[in-house]
Amino acid sequence: MIGRSRRTVLRAGTLLALGGATATLTGCDPLGRGGQPAAAPDPLAPLVDEALALAAAHTDAAAAHPPLADRLTPIAEAHRAHAAELAGLIGAATPTPSASASPSPAGDPAAALVTLRTREQAGRQSATAACAGAPADRAALLASIVAARATHVEVLR
Amino acid sequence: MTAPAGPTEALGAALTAEYAAIWAYGRIGVRLTGADRRAAREAEAAHRRRRDALVVQLSTGAGTVPADHAGYALPYPVTDRPGALRLAVEVEERTAAFWRAAVAATTGPDRDRALAALVEYAVRATRWRRAAGITPSTVAFPGRPS
Repeated sequence: MIGRSRRTVLRAGTLLALGGATATLTGCDPLGRGGQPAAAPDPLAPLVDEALALAAAHTDAAAAHPPLADRLTPIAEAHRAHAAELAGLIGAATPTPSASASPSPAGDPAAALVTLRTREQAGRQSATAACAGAPADRAALLASIVAARATHVEVLR
Repeated sequence: MTAPAGPTEALGAALTAEYAAIWAYGRIGVRLTGADRRAAREAEAAHRRRRDALVVQLSTGAGTVPADHAGYALPYPVTDRPGALRLAVEVEERTAAFWRAAVAATTGPDRDRALAALVEYAVRATRWRRAAGITPSTVAFPGRPS
Protein backbone atom coordinates (compact mmCIF):
# COMPACT_ATOMS: atom_id res chain seq x y z
CA MET A 1 0.00 0.00 0.00
CA ILE A 2 1.21 3.43 -0.84
CA GLY A 3 2.02 5.93 1.84
CA ARG A 4 0.94 4.04 4.94
CA SER A 5 2.09 6.13 7.83
CA ARG A 6 3.24 5.08 11.25
CA ARG A 7 0.01 6.39 12.75
CA THR A 8 -2.11 4.23 10.44
CA VAL A 9 -0.06 1.20 11.36
CA LEU A 10 -0.51 1.99 15.03
CA ARG A 11 -4.27 2.23 14.63
CA ALA A 12 -4.27 -1.13 12.84
CA GLY A 13 -2.50 -2.58 15.85
CA THR A 14 -5.17 -1.17 18.15
CA LEU A 15 -7.99 -2.71 16.13
CA LEU A 16 -6.27 -6.07 16.06
CA ALA A 17 -5.65 -5.88 19.78
CA LEU A 18 -9.35 -5.16 20.38
CA GLY A 19 -10.31 -8.12 18.21
CA GLY A 20 -7.87 -10.33 20.06
CA ALA A 21 -9.21 -9.24 23.45
CA THR A 22 -12.77 -10.04 22.42
CA ALA A 23 -11.71 -13.45 21.17
CA THR A 24 -9.94 -14.20 24.43
CA LEU A 25 -12.95 -13.20 26.53
CA THR A 26 -15.49 -15.14 24.50
CA GLY A 27 -13.16 -18.12 24.28
CA CYS A 28 -12.72 -18.23 28.04
CA ASP A 29 -14.32 -21.22 29.62
CA PRO A 30 -15.71 -20.47 33.11
CA LEU A 31 -15.17 -24.09 34.14
CA GLY A 32 -11.55 -23.92 33.17
CA ARG A 33 -11.62 -26.75 30.66
CA GLY A 34 -9.28 -24.89 28.40
CA GLY A 35 -10.02 -21.93 26.16
CA GLN A 36 -9.79 -21.64 22.43
CA PRO A 37 -6.61 -20.38 20.86
CA ALA A 38 -6.60 -16.65 20.11
CA ALA A 39 -8.30 -15.84 16.82
CA ALA A 40 -6.07 -15.16 13.83
CA PRO A 41 -6.18 -11.57 12.53
CA ASP A 42 -9.20 -11.07 10.30
CA PRO A 43 -8.23 -10.81 6.62
CA LEU A 44 -10.43 -7.70 6.37
CA ALA A 45 -8.46 -5.81 9.03
CA PRO A 46 -6.00 -4.33 6.51
CA LEU A 47 -8.96 -3.07 4.49
CA VAL A 48 -10.23 -1.09 7.46
CA ASP A 49 -6.85 0.63 7.67
CA GLU A 50 -6.76 1.20 3.96
CA ALA A 51 -10.23 2.81 3.97
CA LEU A 52 -9.25 5.11 6.85
CA ALA A 53 -6.01 6.08 5.10
CA LEU A 54 -7.94 6.87 1.91
CA ALA A 55 -10.40 8.97 3.91
CA ALA A 56 -7.54 10.90 5.48
CA ALA A 57 -5.87 11.48 2.13
CA HIS A 58 -9.03 13.06 0.74
CA THR A 59 -9.64 15.13 3.87
CA ASP A 60 -6.07 16.42 3.81
CA ALA A 61 -6.22 17.25 0.12
CA ALA A 62 -9.54 19.07 0.61
CA ALA A 63 -7.98 21.13 3.42
CA ALA A 64 -4.97 21.99 1.28
CA HIS A 65 -7.09 22.80 -1.78
CA PRO A 66 -10.46 24.25 -0.69
CA PRO A 67 -11.82 24.50 -4.27
CA LEU A 68 -11.61 20.69 -4.39
CA ALA A 69 -13.50 20.22 -1.13
CA ASP A 70 -16.92 19.76 -2.75
CA ARG A 71 -15.55 16.85 -4.76
CA LEU A 72 -13.35 15.28 -2.12
CA THR A 73 -15.43 15.54 1.05
CA PRO A 74 -18.18 13.10 -0.05
CA ILE A 75 -15.46 10.65 -1.08
CA ALA A 76 -13.77 10.93 2.31
CA GLU A 77 -17.15 10.28 3.97
CA ALA A 78 -17.67 7.20 1.79
CA HIS A 79 -14.31 5.78 2.84
CA ARG A 80 -15.15 6.33 6.50
CA ALA A 81 -18.50 4.60 5.98
CA HIS A 82 -16.65 1.69 4.36
CA ALA A 83 -14.26 1.46 7.31
CA ALA A 84 -17.17 1.40 9.76
CA GLU A 85 -18.99 -1.36 7.84
CA LEU A 86 -15.83 -3.43 7.49
CA ALA A 87 -15.07 -3.04 11.19
CA GLY A 88 -18.62 -4.15 11.92
CA LEU A 89 -18.13 -7.32 9.88
CA ILE A 90 -14.90 -8.06 11.68
CA GLY A 91 -16.46 -7.35 15.05
CA ALA A 92 -13.94 -4.63 15.84
CA ALA A 93 -14.79 -1.27 17.35
CA THR A 94 -16.01 1.31 14.86
CA PRO A 95 -12.91 3.25 13.93
CA THR A 96 -12.75 6.94 14.65
CA PRO A 97 -12.14 9.36 11.83
CA SER A 98 -8.47 9.74 11.27
CA ALA A 99 -6.51 12.92 11.63
CA SER A 100 -3.65 13.34 9.24
CA ALA A 101 -2.51 9.84 8.37
CA SER A 102 -1.07 10.50 4.97
CA PRO A 103 1.86 12.20 3.37
CA SER A 104 1.16 15.89 2.85
CA PRO A 105 -0.95 16.47 -0.27
CA ALA A 106 0.76 17.88 -3.33
CA GLY A 107 0.91 21.67 -3.52
CA ASP A 108 -0.62 21.68 -6.98
CA PRO A 109 -4.33 20.71 -7.13
CA ALA A 110 -3.89 18.77 -10.36
CA ALA A 111 -1.02 16.77 -8.85
CA ALA A 112 -3.08 16.15 -5.71
CA LEU A 113 -5.88 14.69 -7.85
CA VAL A 114 -3.41 12.43 -9.67
CA THR A 115 -2.12 11.12 -6.35
CA LEU A 116 -5.64 10.47 -5.07
CA ARG A 117 -6.58 8.71 -8.30
CA THR A 118 -3.57 6.43 -8.03
CA ARG A 119 -4.47 5.56 -4.46
CA GLU A 120 -8.09 4.87 -5.37
CA GLN A 121 -6.95 2.54 -8.16
CA ALA A 122 -4.70 0.65 -5.75
CA GLY A 123 -7.57 0.48 -3.27
CA ARG A 124 -9.89 -0.83 -5.95
CA GLN A 125 -7.43 -3.62 -6.70
CA SER A 126 -7.00 -4.68 -3.09
CA ALA A 127 -10.78 -4.70 -2.53
CA THR A 128 -11.22 -6.71 -5.75
CA ALA A 129 -8.74 -9.30 -4.51
CA ALA A 130 -10.52 -9.50 -1.15
CA CYS A 131 -13.91 -9.84 -2.83
CA ALA A 132 -12.79 -12.70 -5.08
CA GLY A 133 -12.08 -15.00 -2.16
CA ALA A 134 -14.62 -13.72 0.37
CA PRO A 135 -17.54 -15.74 1.75
CA ALA A 136 -20.98 -14.71 0.45
CA ASP A 137 -21.88 -12.61 3.49
CA ARG A 138 -18.82 -10.40 2.96
CA ALA A 139 -18.62 -10.41 -0.81
CA ALA A 140 -21.53 -8.00 -1.37
CA LEU A 141 -20.06 -5.30 0.87
CA LEU A 142 -16.61 -5.73 -0.67
CA ALA A 143 -18.17 -5.53 -4.14
CA SER A 144 -19.82 -2.20 -3.28
CA ILE A 145 -16.48 -0.92 -1.99
CA VAL A 146 -14.77 -1.93 -5.24
CA ALA A 147 -17.50 -0.16 -7.21
CA ALA A 148 -17.34 2.94 -5.00
CA ARG A 149 -13.60 3.27 -5.53
CA ALA A 150 -14.10 2.94 -9.29
CA THR A 151 -16.60 5.82 -9.16
CA HIS A 152 -14.10 7.85 -7.13
CA VAL A 153 -11.53 7.44 -9.91
CA GLU A 154 -14.17 8.72 -12.32
CA VAL A 155 -14.89 11.81 -10.20
CA LEU A 156 -11.18 12.58 -9.73
CA ARG A 157 -10.52 12.81 -13.47
CA MET B 1 -35.06 -6.89 -2.94
CA THR B 2 -34.48 -10.22 -1.21
CA ALA B 3 -31.27 -12.11 -1.86
CA PRO B 4 -31.79 -14.94 -4.33
CA ALA B 5 -31.01 -18.40 -3.04
CA GLY B 6 -28.43 -19.66 -5.50
CA PRO B 7 -26.29 -18.68 -8.48
CA THR B 8 -28.91 -19.61 -11.07
CA GLU B 9 -31.64 -17.63 -9.32
CA ALA B 10 -29.35 -14.62 -8.88
CA LEU B 11 -28.26 -14.64 -12.53
CA GLY B 12 -31.88 -15.13 -13.63
CA ALA B 13 -32.85 -12.10 -11.56
CA ALA B 14 -29.99 -10.11 -13.14
CA LEU B 15 -31.32 -11.11 -16.55
CA THR B 16 -34.78 -9.72 -15.77
CA ALA B 17 -33.10 -6.49 -14.63
CA GLU B 18 -31.18 -6.31 -17.92
CA TYR B 19 -34.43 -6.76 -19.91
CA ALA B 20 -36.00 -3.88 -18.00
CA ALA B 21 -32.87 -1.70 -18.41
CA ILE B 22 -32.85 -2.21 -22.19
CA TRP B 23 -36.53 -1.31 -22.37
CA ALA B 24 -36.03 1.78 -20.22
CA TYR B 25 -33.14 3.04 -22.36
CA GLY B 26 -35.51 3.01 -25.32
CA ARG B 27 -37.58 5.60 -23.46
CA ILE B 28 -34.52 7.49 -22.20
CA GLY B 29 -32.67 7.78 -25.52
CA VAL B 30 -35.44 9.60 -27.37
CA ARG B 31 -35.35 12.43 -24.79
CA LEU B 32 -31.61 13.01 -25.17
CA THR B 33 -29.40 14.60 -27.81
CA GLY B 34 -25.71 14.82 -28.68
CA ALA B 35 -23.24 13.34 -26.22
CA ASP B 36 -26.02 12.30 -23.84
CA ARG B 37 -27.71 10.31 -26.58
CA ARG B 38 -24.46 8.63 -27.56
CA ALA B 39 -23.84 7.71 -23.93
CA ALA B 40 -27.37 6.27 -23.71
CA ARG B 41 -26.72 4.14 -26.82
CA GLU B 42 -23.49 2.84 -25.33
CA ALA B 43 -25.22 2.06 -22.07
CA GLU B 44 -28.03 0.24 -23.84
CA ALA B 45 -25.50 -1.77 -25.86
CA ALA B 46 -23.75 -2.81 -22.64
CA HIS B 47 -27.02 -4.04 -21.16
CA ARG B 48 -27.78 -5.95 -24.39
CA ARG B 49 -24.37 -7.64 -24.28
CA ARG B 50 -24.95 -8.79 -20.71
CA ARG B 51 -28.48 -9.93 -21.53
CA ASP B 52 -27.20 -12.02 -24.45
CA ALA B 53 -24.40 -13.55 -22.38
CA LEU B 54 -26.84 -14.43 -19.59
CA VAL B 55 -29.34 -16.02 -21.98
CA VAL B 56 -26.57 -18.22 -23.38
CA GLN B 57 -25.23 -19.10 -19.94
CA LEU B 58 -28.62 -19.87 -18.39
CA SER B 59 -29.76 -21.84 -21.46
CA THR B 60 -26.99 -24.36 -20.94
CA GLY B 61 -28.11 -25.04 -17.36
CA ALA B 62 -30.98 -27.14 -16.09
CA GLY B 63 -33.23 -24.23 -15.12
CA THR B 64 -35.54 -22.13 -17.23
CA VAL B 65 -34.46 -18.83 -18.72
CA PRO B 66 -36.67 -15.94 -17.53
CA ALA B 67 -38.62 -14.42 -20.43
CA ASP B 68 -38.60 -10.80 -21.52
CA HIS B 69 -41.83 -8.81 -21.28
CA ALA B 70 -43.44 -6.54 -23.84
CA GLY B 71 -43.15 -3.56 -21.50
CA TYR B 72 -42.06 -2.48 -18.05
CA ALA B 73 -43.48 0.06 -15.63
CA LEU B 74 -41.46 3.25 -15.33
CA PRO B 75 -41.30 4.91 -11.91
CA TYR B 76 -42.43 8.18 -13.55
CA PRO B 77 -43.15 9.40 -17.07
CA VAL B 78 -40.07 10.52 -18.97
CA THR B 79 -40.89 13.70 -20.86
CA ASP B 80 -37.69 15.73 -20.92
CA ARG B 81 -33.89 15.61 -20.53
CA PRO B 82 -33.80 15.98 -16.70
CA GLY B 83 -36.31 13.16 -16.33
CA ALA B 84 -34.40 10.99 -18.79
CA LEU B 85 -31.10 11.54 -16.96
CA ARG B 86 -32.71 10.84 -13.60
CA LEU B 87 -34.20 7.60 -14.90
CA ALA B 88 -30.84 6.61 -16.40
CA VAL B 89 -29.25 6.97 -12.95
CA GLU B 90 -32.01 4.85 -11.47
CA VAL B 91 -31.73 2.16 -14.16
CA GLU B 92 -28.00 1.81 -13.59
CA GLU B 93 -28.32 1.72 -9.79
CA ARG B 94 -31.15 -0.84 -9.89
CA THR B 95 -29.35 -3.09 -12.34
CA ALA B 96 -26.18 -2.77 -10.28
CA ALA B 97 -28.13 -3.99 -7.23
CA PHE B 98 -29.01 -7.26 -8.98
CA TRP B 99 -25.38 -7.82 -9.94
CA ARG B 100 -24.29 -7.06 -6.39
CA ALA B 101 -26.63 -9.82 -5.22
CA ALA B 102 -25.12 -12.07 -7.90
CA VAL B 103 -21.63 -11.36 -6.54
CA ALA B 104 -22.70 -12.80 -3.20
CA ALA B 105 -24.46 -15.78 -4.77
CA THR B 106 -21.62 -16.86 -7.07
CA THR B 107 -17.95 -17.77 -6.94
CA GLY B 108 -15.00 -17.85 -9.35
CA PRO B 109 -15.44 -16.50 -12.90
CA ASP B 110 -19.19 -15.92 -12.35
CA ARG B 111 -18.37 -13.67 -9.40
CA ASP B 112 -15.71 -11.85 -11.40
CA ARG B 113 -18.23 -11.13 -14.15
CA ALA B 114 -20.89 -10.04 -11.66
CA LEU B 115 -18.42 -7.66 -10.01
CA ALA B 116 -17.40 -6.24 -13.39
CA ALA B 117 -21.07 -5.53 -14.16
CA LEU B 118 -21.62 -3.86 -10.78
CA VAL B 119 -18.54 -1.68 -11.25
CA GLU B 120 -19.45 -0.71 -14.81
CA TYR B 121 -23.01 0.27 -13.90
CA ALA B 122 -21.92 2.14 -10.78
CA VAL B 123 -19.48 4.20 -12.86
CA ARG B 124 -22.17 4.84 -15.45
CA ALA B 125 -24.60 5.98 -12.76
CA THR B 126 -21.94 8.44 -11.59
CA ARG B 127 -21.48 9.73 -15.15
CA TRP B 128 -25.24 10.23 -15.52
CA ARG B 129 -25.37 12.10 -12.20
CA ARG B 130 -22.62 14.40 -13.41
CA ALA B 131 -24.45 14.97 -16.70
CA ALA B 132 -27.59 15.83 -14.71
CA GLY B 133 -25.71 18.09 -12.30
CA ILE B 134 -26.63 15.88 -9.33
CA THR B 135 -24.23 16.26 -6.39
CA PRO B 136 -22.62 14.33 -4.96
CA SER B 137 -22.24 12.24 -8.07
CA THR B 138 -21.18 9.18 -6.08
CA VAL B 139 -22.86 6.99 -3.46
CA ALA B 140 -21.01 5.24 -0.65
CA PHE B 141 -22.33 1.74 -1.40
CA PRO B 142 -23.19 1.33 -5.09
CA GLY B 143 -25.85 -1.30 -5.68
CA ARG B 144 -26.79 -1.66 -2.03
CA PRO B 145 -30.57 -1.60 -1.63
CA SER B 146 -31.53 1.48 0.35
